[in-house]
Amino acid sequence: MIHLGKNTKSRIVSKGISAGHAQNTYRGLVTMHPKARNGRNYTQCDSLLIGGNCGAHTVPYIEVRNNSARVEHEATTSKVDEDQLFYCRSRGMDEEEAVALVVNGFCKDVLQALPMEFAMEAQQLVAISLEGSVG
Amino acid sequence: MLEIKNLHVKLEEEDKQILKGVDLTVEDGKVHAIMGPNGSGKSTLSYVLSGRGGYEVTEGSAVLDGQDLLELEPEERAAAGLFLAFQYPVEIPGVGNMTFLRTAVNAQRKARGEEEMSAAEFLKQVRARAKELKIDAEMLKRPVNVGFSGGEKKRNEILQMAMLEPKMCILDETDSGLDVDAMKLVADGVNALRASGRAFLVITHYQRLLDHIQPDFVHIMADGRIVKSGGPELALEVEHNGYADILAEVA
Repeated sequence: MIHLGKNTKSRIVSKGISAGHAQNTYRGLVTMHPKARNGRNYTQCDSLLIGGNCGAHTVPYIEVRNNSARVEHEATTSKVDEDQLFYCRSRGMDEEEAVALVVNGFCKDVLQALPMEFAMEAQQLVAISLEGSVG
Repeated sequence: MLEIKNLHVKLEEEDKQILKGVDLTVEDGKVHAIMGPNGSGKSTLSYVLSGRGGYEVTEGSAVLDGQDLLELEPEERAAAGLFLAFQYPVEIPGVGNMTFLRTAVNAQRKARGEEEMSAAEFLKQVRARAKELKIDAEMLKRPVNVGFSGGEKKRNEILQMAMLEPKMCILDETDSGLDVDAMKLVADGVNALRASGRAFLVITHYQRLLDHIQPDFVHIMADGRIVKSGGPELALEVEHNGYADILAEVA
């Protein structure tokens, strides 16, 4: 994200999902040029881990060349836990359905910003790529 | 409806026996209550019946309408008609309450080989049942149990129960953390579901919930066994004298 003009604003939301033995890294650069006075950026990086053998890493780069800009970064890491899955399963969903539901909930902020058809497709894609990732 | 025989359960991780021979038969249309001191195995019983991991059944059986529960996955037990109202309902961020309910209802229908419920029919039913439990439209939109108060969580469990129409309902300390009004709401919700073809197992510490949900039978559980069974008067006895007398009597 490169801020050139004054009073510019941006927001980055990253949702990373790791399953199996996957390692997931967010690496993002936010630059505020000297002329980007009062520029603002908010970056949020959330990572979700499925299973005990995967990992998530967040590497934010921030370059600020004027003293009136504000750049914020927030990162969280959470795990799909057994209790959530058991709760879904006790209501009748099978394990894969349960994982897909929890994971889609996790990336909802991003998916709901997409156009309708694309969001549906992305949702199904998440479900497909998670097939066989648990148990 | 539900037949538990000589059920022995230990923790998977450590060698600790929790249930030491539970025998219990719940008949169609009846409400059974289980009371007992902390650590007597009440919640474990409900978890084992619904299929939560971490427990190992070493002996005995649990059969629901002729189906061996212990052989089934949790979701198969749900489709067979078992429902557990959680003591601590779990939060699922980002998943709307309605979405969750609809996924659950349709998953069970699919497992039973029935057709999915249409969106219109589903909405109609949810709205009607939510209204009875004083759950407003806004709560249906919020993510499952996230930021819900204790009372809202428990009412939400009863809403799920109403929508899923199970045969065998287990309520695990559904009264814990509820104020008097919320308890009344939850009890009314349960009473509205009492019917032939459906049975309840109500786990509780206190007699108070049983004032509202009149049980047909009361069992006292201690140290992994049911040590005494009787009618509703047994709950009153506990309320007045505590568990100590009963435990001394059966010891």
